[in-house]
Amino acid sequence: MSRLLITEITRMGPAFCVIGLQREKDRIQSIRPIPSCGHGWLRFPHRRCDILDCALTPFPAPCPHVEDRVATSGFQKSTTIPETEVVTYLRKAEVSRSLPDLFGCRVYENKTGSGLFAIPGEAKRSICGCETQNLRLELCANELRATLALPSGEVLRDLPVVDHDWRGFVDAALAPSRGANQVARLERFLNSHFHYKIMSCPHHFVRLGLTRPYHDYCWLMLDTLFPLPRPEWLGEF
Amino acid sequence: MPRSSIPQFEDKRRRLLEDCFRREAGSAVPIPGDDVDLVEAGILDSMGWVSFLRAVETANGAPDLASDLNERSASFAALLKALRDSKSTPAALRPPVSPRGLDYSSATAILAASSSAVGSRVIPSEEVDRAFGMPVGKLRKRAGIESLAYVAEDENELTLAAKAAQEALRGASCGPQHLDWIVATSETHHNYPSLSAQLHSRLLVRENCVALDTGGACLGLLNALAVAQSMIGSGQAKTVAVVTADVHSRTLTPGRVAGEFGGLFGDGASAFILRSTAHKDSKNSYRLGEFLFGCAGQYAAAIQVSDTKDGTLEVQFDGETLSRAAITRMEKVLASVELRSGIPRGSVGGFATHQPNPRLVALIAKQCGVSPSTFPPIARVSGNLGSSTCGAALHEALRIAEKQPRDDRRPIFLASLGPGLLFGGGWLTPHENGK
Repeated sequence: MSRLLITEITRMGPAFCVIGLQREKDRIQSIRPIPSCGHGWLRFPHRRCDILDCALTPFPAPCPHVEDRVATSGFQKSTTIPETEVVTYLRKAEVSRSLPDLFGCRVYENKTGSGLFAIPGEAKRSICGCETQNLRLELCANELRATLALPSGEVLRDLPVVDHDWRGFVDAALAPSRGANQVARLERFLNSHFHYKIMSCPHHFVRLGLTRPYHDYCWLMLDTLFPLPRPEWLGEF
Repeated sequence: MPRSSIPQFEDKRRRLLEDCFRREAGSAVPIPGDDVDLVEAGILDSMGWVSFLRAVETANGAPDLASDLNERSASFAALLKALRDSKSTPAALRPPVSPRGLDYSSATAILAASSSAVGSRVIPSEEVDRAFGMPVGKLRKRAGIESLAYVAEDENELTLAAKAAQEALRGASCGPQHLDWIVATSETHHNYPSLSAQLHSRLLVRENCVALDTGGACLGLLNALAVAQSMIGSGQAKTVAVVTADVHSRTLTPGRVAGEFGGLFGDGASAFILRSTAHKDSKNSYRLGEFLFGCAGQYAAAIQVSDTKDGTLEVQFDGETLSRAAITRMEKVLASVELRSGIPRGSVGGFATHQPNPRLVALIAKQCGVSPSTFPPIARVSGNLGSSTCGAALHEALRIAEKQPRDDRRPIFLASLGPGLLFGGGWLTPHENGK
C-alpha cells in the first residue's frame, strides 16, 4: 500500500485529475493516481489535504507525465492535515525558481495567440511548484486565467486555472442566486481583496502543470493555488 | 463616419476575426456560422478560444475585449458585437482614405527627413574576435557580422547624435529654432546632463524646446517615435527631432564582458524629423501609422545587464534562449502590425527592425516569408547598434524608397525588442501631400 497526501485536485471538462505527495526515503515526490482506464476521475470522493492509503502500480507513462500510477484499489482516508502543513511538504517536493527548471525543458510561447507550452518529448516532468513574486487572476471570456511572476523575474501569462477549489469558488461567485453584477463584483474582488489575501499569506504557493499532449504540445496551466479560497470570502463582495 | 461606409467597416471587422481565427484553428478549418459557440461545438477548446481572443485584442488594439465577453457565448456574433462596442478603432478597421489603399492611418505625424551616422573606425570582425579572445572567424561564421563600426577617440554618443540630427534637419529644410521637442534615446549614455539636454545645447535650439529622454534600450527608437507622434497629435508640438545614439565599444569591452555578447555591438546614431501633416512642405515624407507595444516577461531572464559595486558589469546573456525569443516575438509583432494596419507583409517595401545579428535577421525573414533583401543590412557591416539599429535600418529603408517613383513607394514596417523582453511595432505609409 502507498500513502499519499492529496495536494491537488484539478478540473478540466467533466473529469478530475488528482496529484499527491509520496515520501520515498528522504525524498518527497509527486504521484498522480489514475484510474485503470483514462487519465481522470469522474468521481473522486476525497479532498485536498487528505492522507489516503491506496495500492498504486507503476505505469509506463509517456513523458512528461512520469508521475502517473494506476490505482488498483480504492482509497482509504487515514487523516487530514492543515493546509499550511501541505504547503510545507510541497516546498520539499519538486520546486523551481525559473522557467526552464519548471519542467526541465524549454517553454515556448504560442505564436498565434496566448499561452505557453512544452514539447512532450523534451519535458522531464509534468508538475512543479514555485514561489511567485506576484500573481493576478482574471476572468477572461468566462475562463479563469492567471498571470504570475517567478522569482527569476520571468512572467507567465494567461495560464488556465484548473484548481478545483478556485474554479468552484468562481462558480459560486457567479451563481445567479447572488444577485446582480456578479461578474463585475468578482472582478473587483480579484483586483483588490484577493491580491492582499493571497500575496500576504505566509503559505502562498502555486503548482504549475502540463496538460496531456494536445496537437503535439503540452500547455502550461495553474494546477494549484494556495491559500485555498474560503467560502466566507463570498460574503465580502 | 458616413453612414454608407458602415457595411465596409463591418466587413473589415469580420476579416480581422477570420484572419485571427485561421491563425488559431488552422486554415483547413472552415469559418463557422456567426452564432455557433466555438467551444460548445468543439471547434476550439477553452484555451484556444482565449488564445484567439488575445490575438483579436492585439490586432484590434482593444486590451479589454476578452473581459467584455464574460457571460457571452464563444461565438463570432458575440465577438463582433464586442468589437462594435469597443472604444478603440484600429487602423485596420477604418475605411481607407487613399485611392491607392495605402493610407489607412489617421495619425497626424509625418516623418519629414532622416539620417544616420556610425563610428568612423570600421573594424573587421576577425580583429574583434582576437580582441575578445575568441576563435578568429567566429563572429563572421556564427553571427554573420563582417565588420563593426567603432567610434574614434574624439567621438561619443553626443557627437554621433549631433551629426545625425544636423543632417536630418538639413534634409527637412528645418532650422534648429523650429524644433519644439527633442526626444532622445540611448542604451549606453548614462551621464548627466542627459543626451537630450546635451543635444539641446549642441544644436542650439530654442530655450523653450523640450528635451526628453526615453528608455527601452534597443526598443528606444520606437518609444521615442511614439512619444513624438503623441506630442504632435495632441497639438503640443509641430516639429520634433527623434534622435538615437549608442556607443557600445567603450562599455562592452574585452575583459568586462564575453566576446559572444560584447563582440556583436557597434556604435551608431540616427535622427528623424517629425512634423504635423499640416506642414506645407511634406512631399517626400512618410506618415506614421500606429504603434503597438508590450512586454513578454517570460523571456526576462534571457538578458540582464547590471552594474556591480566594483565597477564591473554583470551580464546575464543566454544567447540561445534570446535568439529563439527574438525570432518568435519579432514574427509575432510583425504579424500583429500586419493585422492591425491591414497592410499585407508581401506589399511592404522595407522592414526596419532591430537586428540582434545578421543570422537572426535572415531567420526572421524566413519565418515571416519575406525576402531578406527587404531588411537593410545594418548589423552585417556595423554590428548591433542598440537603439540605433532600428533607426539606421529605417533611414536606409527611407533612402531606398526616395529613389523610387512616388507612386511605387511602399509601406515600411517597424519592429524592435528590448531586454525584458520589451517589444514594439508600427508602420509607415507614403504620405500624399494634402490628403
